[in-house]
Amino acid sequence: MFDLFSDPVKVAKQLDIIVNEFGFATWETLYSLVLEVAFAYLIGLPLGVLLVTGEKEGIKPLPKPIMTVLNVVINLLRSVPFLILMIITLPLSKIIVGTKVGTMATIPPMVIAAFPMVARMVESSLREVDHGVIEAAQSMGASAWQIATKVMLPEALPSLISGCTISVGTILGYGAMAGIIGGGGLGKIAINYGYYNFKFLVMWAAVIGLILLVQIFQTFGTWLGIKCDKRLRNRS
Amino acid sequence: MEPIVELRNLSKTFGSGEGQVAALQHVSVAVQPGEIFGIIGLSGAGKSTLVRCINLLERPDEGQVLFHGKDLMTMKNKELRMVRRKISMIFQSFNLLDQRTSLDNICFPLELEGVSRSDAKKRAMELLETVGLPDKAGAYPVQLSGGQKQRIAIARALATNPEVLLCDEATSALDPQTTDSILKLLQSISRERKITVIIITHQMSVIEQICNRVAILDSGVVAEIGEVEKVFSNPQSAAGRRLVTPDVALPLSTWEGPVARIAFNGNMSEEPIIASVAVDLGIKLSILGAGTRNVDGKAFGAMLVSLPEEEEKRRAVLDYLNGHEGVTAEVIQ
Repeated sequence: MFDLFSDPVKVAKQLDIIVNEFGFATWETLYSLVLEVAFAYLIGLPLGVLLVTGEKEGIKPLPKPIMTVLNVVINLLRSVPFLILMIITLPLSKIIVGTKVGTMATIPPMVIAAFPMVARMVESSLREVDHGVIEAAQSMGASAWQIATKVMLPEALPSLISGCTISVGTILGYGAMAGIIGGGGLGKIAINYGYYNFKFLVMWAAVIGLILLVQIFQTFGTWLGIKCDKRLRNRS
Repeated sequence: MEPIVELRNLSKTFGSGEGQVAALQHVSVAVQPGEIFGIIGLSGAGKSTLVRCINLLERPDEGQVLFHGKDLMTMKNKELRMVRRKISMIFQSFNLLDQRTSLDNICFPLELEGVSRSDAKKRAMELLETVGLPDKAGAYPVQLSGGQKQRIAIARALATNPEVLLCDEATSALDPQTTDSILKLLQSISRERKITVIIITHQMSVIEQICNRVAILDSGVVAEIGEVEKVFSNPQSAAGRRLVTPDVALPLSTWEGPVARIAFNGNMSEEPIIASVAVDLGIKLSILGAGTRNVDGKAFGAMLVSLPEEEEKRRAVLDYLNGHEGVTAEVIQ
């Protein structure tokens, strides 16, 4: 990497890549991130709710076999290393988005990898809700659906937001890895230009870009979580 | 009059095998409309289980739970939810929604019923007025004191115009002054809105202050039931006497001889009984500990006294004491 400093042409070339491609790469990263997070929550949020409400002592117990299958599937998907899961599930992309290459093709594998994590995040947030409050709602004649949507989720909101922040960070990390199988974005730039072609300046610039993104999301998520939490006395 | 709430022969067991606990055993209680009914017992007596059976938050293993003569146990889920709106509940830990303002907490049960936002708000404001906190509409639970939280919880419980209000240790987390004001509020609500109130507590003072009738629960069994004055001034059951008579502990002194516990159940004359023993039997007893409680103008008390070493004299003392009306003496050491 230090030969960079002795060869101005190389540096110029790499700066050129950074200037020309970073804008679009960042856009691609954010674009796929938003889709992935949205779909991961579309699947993971209801599953997380079911994991809590459906258990034996829950507000709407489900048959034990269903809960067992749900838990096993989630644990299974969570225990397969992401790279391998991504390669195994890539053929699904052909069916879902019609192609096995490119940024869009990496989205289904990423969602499959992310939703079990989201389900567990949601589950742990909902478990923090005081049982007494749920009991109070039951005593008022609330249905299971009302308890889930009007008590559990709103009461757990600050925790859900902080869980979402963590999920976004992790999915961003997955997205960078997806560069290996052809997903676009900052991850691809870091791997293709930087790692495979020894353009270390580009690689580091991409890595710093990713770090900045994580920083921004984390700061915003933490701020939002605190802002939403009405249990904190100093704000009103 | 037909009871508004009637529990018939309820039994509930928790756990299984070795760790099995019979929380309720064949409990039957009938509560009349409009009364303030107390259920008292020491912790672990099954009070909370019992009150949770009234709205089936806890499902008894057997027995019937009747509301206006209809058995909740046989109801479908939906029907049960409708009944629950007529049986409100407040809790020791208030159980307000932390992420909602006081106003929105009170609106919550109305929201569940599908009442429009503006109607719900209007009703909530009236109720805030009723519980004396009209200025706290926008406050979140964290900004309220314990007593204020319970007032909001009471307002929330009243929102659906219930016929019965269940209070599960509702004042146990509050200081004496706040307890007093909450009890007064419950009393006026019961009177003005003709709401039947069922109060679960371990504090005798709560029962004395506002209840008409009381049931004493002991190890999952109703030991005694009746009007508060009668039950407290002349408890018939061992559990009742234990509850009413103040507990007197043996001081950690060096006394090693036999000790008797003398309980005064309020019906005794003004006779100086210890002095009488000395005069009539010529035996001097020393007092090791004593306590009294005033129930409805009658003195309930307990006293620990030393007994003579000789078997014969001891007998004489016990017989003498037990010969007095309203006095029970037993050897405890």
